[in-house]
Amino acid sequence: MHARQKRSKNFSTVFLFGVLLLFVIPFLLKSNPMTLPNSFYQLNTIFLSILIEAIPFVLIGVLIAGFIQIFITEDHIRAWIPKNRFLAVLMSCIVGAAFPACECGIVPIVRRLIGKGVPLYAGVGFLLTGPLINPIVILSTYMAFGNDMQMAFLRMGVGFVAAFAIALIVSVLFRSNQLKGAKENHHHHHHHSHARGKKKQPLVPRIGEMFKHSIDEFFDMSKFLIAGAFVAAFLQTYVSTQSLLQLGDSEFQSTFVMMALAFVLSLCSEADAFIGASFRNVFPTTAILAFLVYGPMIDLKNTIMLLSVFKARFVFVLFILITSIVFLFVTLSSLL
Amino acid sequence: MQFHFQHFLKALLLGLFTLFFANLHITGDISKYVNPKYDFMSKLAAIFFFILLLIQLTRIWQEKHSHHSCSNGCDHDHGNSHWSLKRLIGYSIVAFPIITGFMLPPVTLDSSIAANKGFLLSQGNNEEEGQGTVQESLMEGAESLTEKENIDIYSSDAEDVALPNNNYLSQEEYNKKLQLLNESDTIQLTNDIFSTYYGEINDSPQLYAGKKIKMSGFVFKEEGFTSNQLVISRFLITHCIADASIIGFLSEFDGADTIQEDTWIEIEGVLELGSYGGSKLPLIKVTSLNEIDEPSEPYIYPVLTLLGD
Repeated sequence: MHARQKRSKNFSTVFLFGVLLLFVIPFLLKSNPMTLPNSFYQLNTIFLSILIEAIPFVLIGVLIAGFIQIFITEDHIRAWIPKNRFLAVLMSCIVGAAFPACECGIVPIVRRLIGKGVPLYAGVGFLLTGPLINPIVILSTYMAFGNDMQMAFLRMGVGFVAAFAIALIVSVLFRSNQLKGAKENHHHHHHHSHARGKKKQPLVPRIGEMFKHSIDEFFDMSKFLIAGAFVAAFLQTYVSTQSLLQLGDSEFQSTFVMMALAFVLSLCSEADAFIGASFRNVFPTTAILAFLVYGPMIDLKNTIMLLSVFKARFVFVLFILITSIVFLFVTLSSLL
Repeated sequence: MQFHFQHFLKALLLGLFTLFFANLHITGDISKYVNPKYDFMSKLAAIFFFILLLIQLTRIWQEKHSHHSCSNGCDHDHGNSHWSLKRLIGYSIVAFPIITGFMLPPVTLDSSIAANKGFLLSQGNNEEEGQGTVQESLMEGAESLTEKENIDIYSSDAEDVALPNNNYLSQEEYNKKLQLLNESDTIQLTNDIFSTYYGEINDSPQLYAGKKIKMSGFVFKEEGFTSNQLVISRFLITHCIADASIIGFLSEFDGADTIQEDTWIEIEGVLELGSYGGSKLPLIKVTSLNEIDEPSEPYIYPVLTLLGD
């Protein structure tokens, strides 16, 4: 124990030093702005704008996650979720569709739900339809495509069916909850021993606990959001999407190109319809639809967040599943 | 009682986030990052951060074995455990945007970003969203769609006056402006109606050929432009500047090659029906030109009108 304390003290010193350096370096740079190229300022501005846009939704997400942690018990969940796997997936997709969320805000909520005993497949259904199908996304899609409901309907319809299929496949492929650190949890018995008395606690301290959970959840999630936003901003600044567009000659290729674009750009699902619409004259409807369905389900920034929650193998399989199912369903929809 | 360094650090970071979000609104820099229409959300973030800060402050000094109720499936970091390199990196990442946010000034997107995004010249008509109606607030969800009048959540307070270019037009004003586009001989592309006019002109350039046009924007050039060509362009921001798309008109005049990219200019000219890369598009024959400073509102936001009016 002594050695441990000593080590932690050493780390604090190193850390304090690191923080100091982090604060000092920018000051030095500021006094000599020539050291940073203009493109870095561009990158930084895009990076911060993604964060400023996403953080309010992440905060709402962690507050909901905190609420679930403190006020919802495993018994509740057991009573709510249908025993039948098929029905459970269907229910999760519908609840997700009714729940207005964005793809970063929903990650902490899903993690907390699965931690509370929601089956993985139901969590996935909720994760996929939450950001994709909600009133704001429908409205912005309707507007972006010239006040035409067709694209909005296609987006919701194909998205819902695809999400349902993906969640069903997940239910066949994975038995355990796939949460990262699920094993580690057994070491934290000291936490659990306190939990027993929880139900008897009065409301006010429990609300306090809820906020404390939200804070910890925020720090857990935000570092991945920040890393993801930085990579997305980096790609926007230094990689030309035009070069990507030149790859899309055939319908198949263009569908893949638009999906890659959706992944890389990591746009919020409320804003992506306008970007999608701007490609109407370059790419066929199928490709645009793929962009609109795929982006809210998975993108760069939310993949990094998912990696913080789930085991890497599961995230990889989920990524492959989403990509192939969305591609398949979007292509099928064009044949109808 | 014991001092918890990690809890202190979290409080510090929450405090800095609160300041950062509040500062964005105090300085008005928020408009350089996100569409001012949605600044309600970032105000909300500042308030949330402040509440979380107050809660976090109570955790800095507490009993050694903090009383923390945690049921199964609680797998996040409570900040009570020991230091590790992983944690160090984690806190540094969270600190990073605060540091760059306070230290580095926001800049306006420039032509290098425009080149990456690709100009929409080759795409012809693409902007139709102008006639739509938006009333966005995640907090309100479905209800808001039915509450036609309730638009004031963003625009009621005086602060919004300090942020012009708010782009809320009543349907009446909007129709008036559209009519003006069709009737007047000189089209003025002002910020509030820019995206709508741009969309209309791009959709049917033949209707507007021969009309005079006044507009301002920054200079952007694509590979393959001749010496008399440039694009006078603006960024259209839907939500945040990460979703910016570049819009603008191809313009022609002698000596266009002498003007550097990213220079802000104000022009007058005559619209014509031109073609580029095989597709028809509106073209401005520039008659007079002024170099100007970058405006305080460099971006264009889509027009919003009241729902259902």
